[in-house]
Amino acid sequence: MEGEYSTDPEWASVTPIDLDDGSSSGAMPLATIAYPAEYLEATSYLRAVMAANEMSERALNLTKDVISMNPAHYTVWIYRAKILFALDKDLNEELSWLNDVSLKYLKNYQIWHHRQVLLSSKAHFPTFPPKEADFLMEMFAQDSKNYHVWTYRHWLVRHFRLWDQPRELEDVEFLLKADVRNNSAWNHRYMLRFGPRDTSLPDAGMVNAGDLSTAPTEKGKLSVVDEDLVDGELKFAQEAILRAPENRSPWWYARGVLRAAGRGLAEWEGFVSGFVSEGAVKSSHAVEWLADVFAERAGKEAEAVRMLTMLKEKFDPIRKNYWDYRIRKLDQAVA
Amino acid sequence: MPLIGKRKVRFPNAQKPNRPTSLIPTSAMNPSDSNQPRPGIPALFTQPPPIRDPLITETIDLQNATLEKCLPFLKGIHSAQKDFNDHGVPALQRDLHIGYLYDALEDYPEGFVAMDASRPWIVYWALAGLAMMGEETTRFRERVITTLRPMQNPTGGFGGGHGQTSHLAGSYAAVLSLAMVGGEEAFGLVDRHAMWQWIGRLKQLDGGFRVCEGGEEDVRGAYCAMTLISLLDLPLTLAPGSQARGAGLESLTSGLPEYLSRCQTFEGGISGSPGSEAHGAYAFCALACLSILGSPEEIFNRHMDIPMLVSWLSARQSAPEGGLSGRTNKLVDGCYSHWVEGKPDSTEPPVNSLFSREGLTRYILGCCQGNDGGLRDKPGKIERGSKPSLPDRLECRKQQLFVLIFLEVFTMPRSGQCVFKG
Repeated sequence: MEGEYSTDPEWASVTPIDLDDGSSSGAMPLATIAYPAEYLEATSYLRAVMAANEMSERALNLTKDVISMNPAHYTVWIYRAKILFALDKDLNEELSWLNDVSLKYLKNYQIWHHRQVLLSSKAHFPTFPPKEADFLMEMFAQDSKNYHVWTYRHWLVRHFRLWDQPRELEDVEFLLKADVRNNSAWNHRYMLRFGPRDTSLPDAGMVNAGDLSTAPTEKGKLSVVDEDLVDGELKFAQEAILRAPENRSPWWYARGVLRAAGRGLAEWEGFVSGFVSEGAVKSSHAVEWLADVFAERAGKEAEAVRMLTMLKEKFDPIRKNYWDYRIRKLDQAVA
Repeated sequence: MPLIGKRKVRFPNAQKPNRPTSLIPTSAMNPSDSNQPRPGIPALFTQPPPIRDPLITETIDLQNATLEKCLPFLKGIHSAQKDFNDHGVPALQRDLHIGYLYDALEDYPEGFVAMDASRPWIVYWALAGLAMMGEETTRFRERVITTLRPMQNPTGGFGGGHGQTSHLAGSYAAVLSLAMVGGEEAFGLVDRHAMWQWIGRLKQLDGGFRVCEGGEEDVRGAYCAMTLISLLDLPLTLAPGSQARGAGLESLTSGLPEYLSRCQTFEGGISGSPGSEAHGAYAFCALACLSILGSPEEIFNRHMDIPMLVSWLSARQSAPEGGLSGRTNKLVDGCYSHWVEGKPDSTEPPVNSLFSREGLTRYILGCCQGNDGGLRDKPGKIERGSKPSLPDRLECRKQQLFVLIFLEVFTMPRSGQCVFKG
């Protein structure tokens, strides 16, 4: 086959390894793809240089070529990262190329792991490269809930200890201002405010998690509570709720905040009741909140059941089985 | 269905001259003629939710657009639907789905090059769908072995294709495919010793697993690793020379439940890695992994805050669509019917009675069936053209999964709860 690589003197020393799709056994392989000739050729050379573990400029260029044809080829990304470090390439140059690729293939996630591999090199990135935040905001402008980008951003925060960097919270607030329902941004905010910071311990979504001596119900509870911070976060959540009371995100954020502080849901009873006046319920989450408050209060179980019944019959009937389960649990507790 | 000769994979709407004509009365075929839902459909599944905030943001715009596309399907008045029962639910198009799955095992045109690293998955999804449809999968034994043999690496595990680095997801799909076709030769293909050593090299000090050497660590890796260890009956001892063993861990399961516990978030759900957002697909992986590690009831209670988890799981379902979303404030998507609903049936309350099965039935049968077989995540994508663009390709890949989900949801015996018969 005459191709870009087979006719290139730079590649003359390499014997490509042709694709083995198994068909030499006589049986027909399944889910085969009619690969374009250029892809077949490039991947044949890729198999050859990878088998020889070649760390070279030409192999680096080859990885870029394969990525341009199939960015979901995870193997080529891992090989590329190895070559970049072996040849001590300029990683900032790699990052700027990666920015373009990322914007082109928004759903690809090999890209984000590759980026993390680069940034985890303390030798190359002893401190946080500030342009990183700008680029992430560019990504969020395209897809504000991109799971891989948020996962990467969380990793950055922990790796470079950015919890108290003003930029982190500013970006979260910018995104929540644009869309107060961006649950990914709420999650990031929780991790900035209440996530574990002791990097000598493995990472966790909540403090106290994964410690066998602590019950799962204790997850998220801080040992030292900054009450001013907690009050500020509760106020922030209340303001968000007032903008859109049926938005689940700030309600659950507030539950997370109160849990972290070891404070009960009851302190919000007044605020929450405002959304549940007779005849004009403005938020199903407020009804659920009151149900939880009453469920904890002796003698108020019937009121809790009334709230749960409202959810079951009127405001969230698709979840009937869940509300029934909650009601059954209360009945058991009373009996 | 004959298996002689290779067929090209069909595409939705591509050259299908003899599409069966609809059995719906003409008056109900065109939504513009009548916007009234078909009789027998409760208002819950045709009306917007009772509380809607006036504030419009991008999240709401997307939800509204999705709802608009779903409504004609939910009301049973879309021209592509047919064979309704008395409850206004269109029938499962069994033959079309089976045909679609057989086709999915054959040739793909060059536009599918992006799936070059996912071929074990295509094989697995299609075979699993066929198996659940009651088709005989053992007839693919020779072809499955032929397909997977070049993907296995001598250093252990299967990659996405010949010459590709071994990957836990690809190995999971490969081994499950071999299990479905069965037989000495199929089981003999797997180099268990090398697989055991390779999985040992993926074990991380925090208890989790990387998906491949040099790759990311997440709960997918943990679930796929435990599935392989369990199915292949691998020793739990960490192989000598693995980094984790050098660092003091003893077993492949050391610290694993604790790692999964650290993936629970303040919302109650479970994320892909500690600190990320709760997500249905990862919750499935984490809970399934725990269920392999121990008796679900005992191990869930030991490592998860159950009330919070159950609340979050239940909140994945919303009306009127009836389907599930993967995350808070994200869109309904058929694939989560697998990832979220498919959880082990042993939490309290049983997860299988946590959701509205009627809602899921209506969503999957009403909104997700493609005209030419296969299932889609939501209406409005597949119908659009015959030439596969990137989203269509991804969709197509997912569709195969949906047939599988579908069958998990609807064909398993469930004490007569499912009243909707085709």
